[in-house]
Amino acid sequence: MNAYDDSTLEAMKNVAYAPGEEKSARFFARDTKILDATSAASAIEILPIAVALEKYTWLRELRYSLVAADQDEYVKQVAQNPDALGYFIRVKAGEKVVLPIYTCYLIDSDHFTQCTHNIVIAEEGSEFHLISGCTSNKHIVSGRHIGITEYFIKENAIVTSTMVHSWGEEVEVFPRSATHIGKNGTFVSNYVALSNVKSVQMNPLAIIEEGGLGEFYSVIYAPEGSSFDIGSTSLLKGEGASTQIISRVVSGGGSVITRGMIVGEEAGGRGSMACNGLLLSEKGMIHAIPELLAKNPQLELSHEASVGMISREELSYLMASGIDEEKAKSLIIEGFLDLHIPSLPDYLQRHINAIVKETKAFDTI
Amino acid sequence: MNTTILDITNLHVSVGDKEIISGVDLTIKKGEVHVLFGPNGSGKSTLLCAILKLPGYIITEGSVRVHGTDTAELTTDAIANLGIGMSFQHPPQIKGVTLGRFLETINHGGDLSIPISELAMEAFLERELNVGFSGGELKRAEILKLYAQSPDLLLIDEPESGVDIENIAVISRAINAMLQKGSPMASRERSALIITHTGTILNTIHADIGHVFMDGKIVCSGNPLDIMEDIKRDGFSGCVKCIENRKEIS
Repeated sequence: MNAYDDSTLEAMKNVAYAPGEEKSARFFARDTKILDATSAASAIEILPIAVALEKYTWLRELRYSLVAADQDEYVKQVAQNPDALGYFIRVKAGEKVVLPIYTCYLIDSDHFTQCTHNIVIAEEGSEFHLISGCTSNKHIVSGRHIGITEYFIKENAIVTSTMVHSWGEEVEVFPRSATHIGKNGTFVSNYVALSNVKSVQMNPLAIIEEGGLGEFYSVIYAPEGSSFDIGSTSLLKGEGASTQIISRVVSGGGSVITRGMIVGEEAGGRGSMACNGLLLSEKGMIHAIPELLAKNPQLELSHEASVGMISREELSYLMASGIDEEKAKSLIIEGFLDLHIPSLPDYLQRHINAIVKETKAFDTI
Repeated sequence: MNTTILDITNLHVSVGDKEIISGVDLTIKKGEVHVLFGPNGSGKSTLLCAILKLPGYIITEGSVRVHGTDTAELTTDAIANLGIGMSFQHPPQIKGVTLGRFLETINHGGDLSIPISELAMEAFLERELNVGFSGGELKRAEILKLYAQSPDLLLIDEPESGVDIENIAVISRAINAMLQKGSPMASRERSALIITHTGTILNTIHADIGHVFMDGKIVCSGNPLDIMEDIKRDGFSGCVKCIENRKEIS
């Protein structure tokens, strides 16, 4: 176990990465240095990406196969950066790992651009839960994090991936991730961002093969001065593929564009989307853009979107019970952001609820 | 010692541009249970909402005092904290907030295990507040809320509407327990103002004073059982005739 200084430990805590907590595997990187990449389970291989690329020549073929190296200026920057770091995680076929795998990236130098590229492979029939924290140290005035992650979910494998962000007010973040979900595989992505940031822009892609399931959940609180452009795109490529995209967004003065795109190609595909927003301040903005594209008549695609303020009826009901206005609003917001994810194991849902409680920037009761 | 909990004087209330309450005087003392009869649309629910100053209910004239404090400058939560609790006829659904979390937030430290059990709400504590609740479940949750709040005055809007006989019995037992109906009047701490459209609730809850509410006014007060009998026999049109006769006599 590495010894970390107090400010690093505090930053880790903001993304629920506790060094002492039980983990099946862990990875921690500060700026361009990987300080920890350890697996406690034989089922899991976790390596710095550079080491993995040396070890496995086949991995070089997979790299940039889901996220094109020239996809945009940010991916190009990572592809051309000799200091780019990252992790390689592989869970062996048929292995079901109960304890989560934790990863954490920390920006510790001011005005630093952290470039990362991760590759995650769930072999046939494997199952595991990944929790990724991305954060900056409290003395950081500005910085930038560009993170590419390519997930390969093989046949019948199940992976949940929870990403928690907690950044400084002037940090810009550009996650670029894509997932290939093999036959009857399941990939559940949860994104939680409840504290300060300058901007986050991402639109992860899931390519879902026959009978596969891809779920995207996002819980975002955008404080004043922050800007989010976040979305998810699901491509229902195989017969009977299905997807769900759910986002809950609260703007406390920040600007949020919340996108969702479902493209159906083969028969029997099902997709649903719900983008719900609460706008608490006139300084904020929420723009919900749900899109459906059907290329086959045998598809069931649907979406709902709502943006509004806190319901006056709900607020006055709570106040009539003796709760003051601020506490009543806080209760409603907490409830709105308390997304229950049916496909998560209970212990993980409780853990994520605890993260939500720990990381939120708005007033608590 | 002043035992008056609620004192309403010449109250006028508008909703939008329309006056709904047109000069109500009502005093409720410690331990008293008042019941308001009245046809649909007469303004009974508006009176309860106006007491708590819920949004949209504008007091244009008159005053409401709770324990002697004029509520004119108070917010809804401050009025509730003077000792008023209201069981809503149509409580809103609040997604993401569990009944248990809500009760924990409003509870003044009392042990709720007995009322939770008697109102059969154990299975609902982890459910989102009022989401998917049946009529009876909504009423039971509202009464449980009053237990958590432990107010001096209960405002109960149509406890029997949309509720089956079994649930009426459960709800009535819980209300009677809150109102200490087994104790002598002088030792009772809580009071209530109960709205009833049908009067059915009087079969299971003993009220001390009844009022007939029509066109935004209290037009008649007296023994609640006598009033209910008259209404059952002649309907509210009987009340209209009775008022006209009284006018002629006077």
